[in-house]
Amino acid sequence: MTDAISVSGLTKAFGSARALDGLDLTVRTGETHGFLGPNGAGKSTTIRVLLGLLRADGGRARLLGEDPWTRATSLHRRLAYVPGDVTLWPGLTGGEVIDLLGGLRGGLDRARRRELLERFHLDPRKRARAYSKGDRQKVALVAALSGDAELLILDEPTSGLDPLMEEVFRETLREELRRGDRTVLLSSHILSEVEALCDRVTIVRDGRTVETGTLADLRHLTRTSVQADLAGPPHGLAALPGVHDVRVHGGRVVFDADAPALDAALRCLAEAGVRGLVSRPPSLEELFLRHYSHTTEAAGAVGSAGAAR
Amino acid sequence: MSALAGTRTLAGLALRRERAVAPWWIALNMSMALLLIGYIQRVMPTDAVKAAYTAVISRNTFFQALGGGFVEPRLDVLATWRSGGFLYVASAFAAVMCVVRHTRAEEDAGRAELLRAAGTGRRAPLTAALLVAAGTSLLGGLLTALALVAAGLEPVGSAAYGAAITAVGWVFAGVAAVAVQLSRTARTATTIGLFTLGVAYVMRYIGDATRQYWLKALSPIGWGHLVRPYQDERWWLLGLSAGVAAALCALAYALLDRRDLGAGMVPERLGPASAPGPRGPVGTAWRLHRGLLARWAAGVAVLAIATAGAGTLAGQLAAMPGIAQGLLRNMGGPTGGALDVYQRYMTLIFAHVIALYPVLMVRRLRSEETSGRAETLLATPLTRLRWAGGHLALAGLGSAALLAVAGVVHGVLYGLLVGDLAADPPRVLAGMLSHVPAVWSVGAAGVLAYGLLPRASVAVSWAVWILTAVLGQLAGPLYGMWAGTPLEPFHYVPDVFGDGSFDAGPYLLLFALTAALVGGGLLALRRRDLG
Repeated sequence: MTDAISVSGLTKAFGSARALDGLDLTVRTGETHGFLGPNGAGKSTTIRVLLGLLRADGGRARLLGEDPWTRATSLHRRLAYVPGDVTLWPGLTGGEVIDLLGGLRGGLDRARRRELLERFHLDPRKRARAYSKGDRQKVALVAALSGDAELLILDEPTSGLDPLMEEVFRETLREELRRGDRTVLLSSHILSEVEALCDRVTIVRDGRTVETGTLADLRHLTRTSVQADLAGPPHGLAALPGVHDVRVHGGRVVFDADAPALDAALRCLAEAGVRGLVSRPPSLEELFLRHYSHTTEAAGAVGSAGAAR
Repeated sequence: MSALAGTRTLAGLALRRERAVAPWWIALNMSMALLLIGYIQRVMPTDAVKAAYTAVISRNTFFQALGGGFVEPRLDVLATWRSGGFLYVASAFAAVMCVVRHTRAEEDAGRAELLRAAGTGRRAPLTAALLVAAGTSLLGGLLTALALVAAGLEPVGSAAYGAAITAVGWVFAGVAAVAVQLSRTARTATTIGLFTLGVAYVMRYIGDATRQYWLKALSPIGWGHLVRPYQDERWWLLGLSAGVAAALCALAYALLDRRDLGAGMVPERLGPASAPGPRGPVGTAWRLHRGLLARWAAGVAVLAIATAGAGTLAGQLAAMPGIAQGLLRNMGGPTGGALDVYQRYMTLIFAHVIALYPVLMVRRLRSEETSGRAETLLATPLTRLRWAGGHLALAGLGSAALLAVAGVVHGVLYGLLVGDLAADPPRVLAGMLSHVPAVWSVGAAGVLAYGLLPRASVAVSWAVWILTAVLGQLAGPLYGMWAGTPLEPFHYVPDVFGDGSFDAGPYLLLFALTAALVGGGLLALRRRDLG
């Protein structure tokens, strides 16, 4: 199977600032790929290179098997794009913008358009200047989803949508994916969204890929959080290699464990007598913290990651 | 919480933001008033010239209407007659924009919500905006009066003139205060305010043109003229203006107390829900920029009505003082009479004004790019060349169409009023259209800049236009260079009002220059990063 997107060693500098510094990204045909990173990590720059709007300084980029700079126009017939910060022409109505973009892409499905407008509760007769940020985002989403593109490039598509509309977006995208012939690149810093929708993820930081794989692959690399109610004290737990941050409050113990250390840790708990046990896989938030807490330690970074959302 | 809580803070904030705007309006008032004193002193140095000029003006309906009111052959009356028609409108315009900027525009942006939640009262934003707008009008009138006194005019008349400028501003601050309660967006509020200003101006204009003075007496702009500074100073009219302004403000507060934040009385008009059908790049550009072109066409048509009307004086050009005589001597040539010189100079003015249209279209191209809207379009199969080409085709055809509008309106109306309805329209139209290649070449310089130096492109295209005007025949006569310089394109446009011979050479040269500049710009655009 060919890859829908294949990027390797991509570099791009704006003046002295290096936006991309050897970024790698592979999206397989038919998959939904999460493209994760904090603001300024190079997600949008990568997407602009893939759209042929920017010319990479170095590295290799292939979109649907072709060069995105020289073959931009023919490639654009096969994709739909939702920018992260949607700006519209203030004097045009939402309906006009959807049809303008649809017309340029070679037509859209009128029934699908009507259905999406209804689902997203978007009034297509309002002028763009009267739309909220979320409404503008909806216009771009309806325009992209009512076409028939084989590749969807979505740059933070739910920024500005309320939780209810976020759910509508997820449901709609899942339906699209059920058709099975669509590839999606979903850039985001909303981790739950990527968790809910994506097969594989690529995490980038400072213009470089730091991790890529399925969610299961990445979880395998990280710690599991365990909370247990015990009959007696857990002797020797804190001393086990690969067990971190052990806190004991009365009969309750909370700790994190690396995957290879789980076996020994659970044995230790069992010896003390387990009355209740909660363990959960690390959320993407925690994965994120691991990759972006190089300046602050985990405790401080929890707050800032929450604020970044 | 008092409804006025926080007014002082908000007024301070508004003043801070006005620092960049209000001083320019005030400076405009003062400099216009002073410039026209200098102008009258220079071109009408003696009482005899003043009397001759006044006699010509008083017989001419168009100038009566434009200036508004009755002239006497005195420096103070003539100078304020010339500046007043403009300054009353400028003062009203500034007041409308100021009130909308600090009320409805703040609500639109959501900043008003932030401030209201922070403990400012319901009436505070409007009060602050009115205080700042009224203060700007007051300062504009006061400083203008002081400047006129300093220039040696009589103090009582100067005070009346300044007060009239202030009073018009106050009335329109009141109009805007009501408009922002009625509308739901700043744009609609501005439209209501400026539409009212337009109606007031037209009533005053028609009143003076047709001598139906009751029309003028019903217009707030007319009240300014009717104060008659330096003549009989009708102070009570200032009281009328102040009273109307106060009544409008009271109405605005009454409406304000009955509406929700962000809500209006007039619902926003909804637009079409869809626009099906395929669109090429020109169709797309047309849909995006047709509003601008329509506004330009309307503006050019109004200007053409004015120039055709002013043409009623062209026959007496030889009797007129100042630049007109120099023009006649230097542009008439062996065969040209006064009317030909007038037509030639008018087409040149139109060509320069319309050359701004492609400059603005290049600016739009750039703002489409920086706003990210171009990115949305270019992520579709639309290529860069076709995208930019669509805009440029509209800029090129649009500027030609604007010259045609100018030619038809000016030509037909001039034929009706002064000349020959059979001969004038085609000649004037041909004269306007002969400038098309030169207008394009000015815009094309901006396209080259847009391709090569996108960040500097707006500044460069403005600079090219300004240099064209400064080095050309438009500004040249101001410093004695009647034919301009060969450094700008309009220099090469043949004079179709002259002996009637046709030479294709200059046109081909300008077309080639345009093609080279546009081609270079587009090539550079293809190769560079976007956004």
